[in-house]
Amino acid sequence: MARFILAARKDSPRLSGHLPVVDRRQRRASFPTLKQERNVLQMKKNSRRPLGLVLLAGAATVALSATAVLADETCISPYMPKITGHEDFVYVWTLGVEGLGDGWDKLVTVDARTGKVIDSDSVGSRNEAHHGGFTDDRRQFWAAGLDTSQMFVFDVATDPANPKLVKTIDDFVEKSGGAVGPHGAYALPGRMMIPALSNKDGTGRTALVEYSNEGDFIATHWLPTAEEAKDVPGGEFADGYGYDARVLPRKNVMLTSSFTGRENYMRPFGEVAGDAEAMKKFGNSMIIWDFHARTPKKVFNVPGVPLEVRWAWGETAAHAFTSTALTSKIWLVYEDDKGEWQAEEVADIGDPSKLPIPVDISLSADDKTLFANTFMDGMTRVFDVSDPHHPKQVYEKKIGEQVNMVSQSWDGERLYYTSSLLANWDKTGDANEQFLKAYSWNGKELASRFEVDFTKEELGRPHMMSFGAASLYAN
Amino acid sequence: MSRNVRLACALLAALYFTGGASAHDGAHAAKSAAPTGPSSAFAFPLPEPGSYRLPPIRAAAGGDVLTEEGKSADLAELLNGRITVFSFIYTRCADICPIATMQLAELRELARRIPGVSERMQLASMSFDPDHDTAPVMAEYADNWRDAGEESPQWLFLTAPDQAALRPVLDAYGQAIAPDPEAAGRLNHILRVFLIDEAGVVRNIYSMDFLDPQLVLGDIRTLIGDRVRTD
Repeated sequence: MARFILAARKDSPRLSGHLPVVDRRQRRASFPTLKQERNVLQMKKNSRRPLGLVLLAGAATVALSATAVLADETCISPYMPKITGHEDFVYVWTLGVEGLGDGWDKLVTVDARTGKVIDSDSVGSRNEAHHGGFTDDRRQFWAAGLDTSQMFVFDVATDPANPKLVKTIDDFVEKSGGAVGPHGAYALPGRMMIPALSNKDGTGRTALVEYSNEGDFIATHWLPTAEEAKDVPGGEFADGYGYDARVLPRKNVMLTSSFTGRENYMRPFGEVAGDAEAMKKFGNSMIIWDFHARTPKKVFNVPGVPLEVRWAWGETAAHAFTSTALTSKIWLVYEDDKGEWQAEEVADIGDPSKLPIPVDISLSADDKTLFANTFMDGMTRVFDVSDPHHPKQVYEKKIGEQVNMVSQSWDGERLYYTSSLLANWDKTGDANEQFLKAYSWNGKELASRFEVDFTKEELGRPHMMSFGAASLYAN
Repeated sequence: MSRNVRLACALLAALYFTGGASAHDGAHAAKSAAPTGPSSAFAFPLPEPGSYRLPPIRAAAGGDVLTEEGKSADLAELLNGRITVFSFIYTRCADICPIATMQLAELRELARRIPGVSERMQLASMSFDPDHDTAPVMAEYADNWRDAGEESPQWLFLTAPDQAALRPVLDAYGQAIAPDPEAAGRLNHILRVFLIDEAGVVRNIYSMDFLDPQLVLGDIRTLIGDRVRTD
């Protein structure tokens, strides 16, 4: 049966050119070419046949001229436009450091070709800047503060080289009913899903909170406890912790992971690690949800703090990877042949006995390569995950004394790394390197492109990275 | 839905969607397994209408619009009193808009079969290209998609009197558009379809990923509080 794959443009990021998902198994569809559109329009003009039939012919034209899909942005919400060419900017959500520059959290804009810092917008406060994300139209970037529970909304559309803070959301705790520590922001149609890490008591029981793109509260979905999930398969593993939340629209599922509460993440890591009781207060669960109903379908026991969730992009893929921070494993969550969702430990990351602490991971757009960072040894490890059940490490490189986030370009040719984990968990002294490092990737090894020293530039601790392109908003 | 359009929808579905999981699971699948439209290719079980919440998102904005008859109207008044599935489109669009409109035509056909639903809902499709999409153009466009269909929900085709009137409406709904620099007459945009309740409050927003007629119908029935299955 013919598949509707529309011709993709390689070099021109566009506002809507990569949005339509005609088939939920085909998430990288793009526009038909102008020639194809003219075919459709010409047929309509010359015919009084119902448009449906005209469309049919047009669709057939497009289907016949189908091309292979292009690489995509790899860790982004599937609901937003994608940049398929070279990114122009790297937006870095950066923790302020007292006594360094203005000391405030800020969104730093770096030229993705030259490595020059071209803009820095401070928010006038320190909030434990952590993650963030674009709205579904990619016109705003929402940046979260784990400490103050504030969300900062930047306009990146008016001047993509010069984002501006346009709104501060300061009612998160009140409106959510007590969720604390917004961790990131994940685009849904017309709204943002904000996974929190904690609650007003500072423990790890937390929630997913939805806000409209206009900044108005919509709903709170508390992560279930074992008691609340007793009627859900695997409900005995539910622990109420939260971290990441990402959706596979084609299957109407959302996958969430689990971390720890404010009482731990705002405390120096050395103290936490030496406190046996504190170490018990970390998440060991993942939940697959009925996304539309926002209800848990199944709870998995994933010991050792499963963090980032990365769904595979393939048009028939139904699996996601995560890494566990305290047990140093790669876990695979997948739909089996019977349509049941399963979780399976599939590989070690480094030597788990040395507690390397896996942090961010990035899955390539072709689903074949997984980059996994480990904070303590500053390493990035590359796994061949062509067989997702049997990852094989094929490369490793020391990025710095510490490393946290990794972001991959849409074409898989460029990778960017930042250093900061949490203000109180970063290393100290000379090991406290704070950088953005850019590399090219040829499929075999990383080669340095540029580096920005965030301490020398008096910017702070760089954390979340997101890409921008001026042509997304071109008129 | 006219026979020709229905046939086209079925054939389009065959083109758009591949095999594998080709229907909703469970009881829902039994009703949608026949190749009656793209909904047959949405491959996940739907939650039971009324078994989930659709929390208010925000008030649906009004604004000056023209009906396909060329009459001036306030959008807010047109949205009032019925559950509305409201979409922004433009008639020269050759990909997202007609596919979305096809889904809405399928929704209209599904709703027609369910007593107590059809008269409580409506569809409204508004152009964001008023320079081209005048009221007569919208009327012609409507003829391509809307047949008389006994007991079918009302389907409004609207446009703006001019760009000045359009802008605040687009801003209120967060609908960004931009001229395509590579193709005259084309507009770059994302698809957003709004489910608006009888009181004029947005209760859901769909991208193409979730513009499944069966799913939207389930949402409408959730708003109505109707747990009656289709058959």
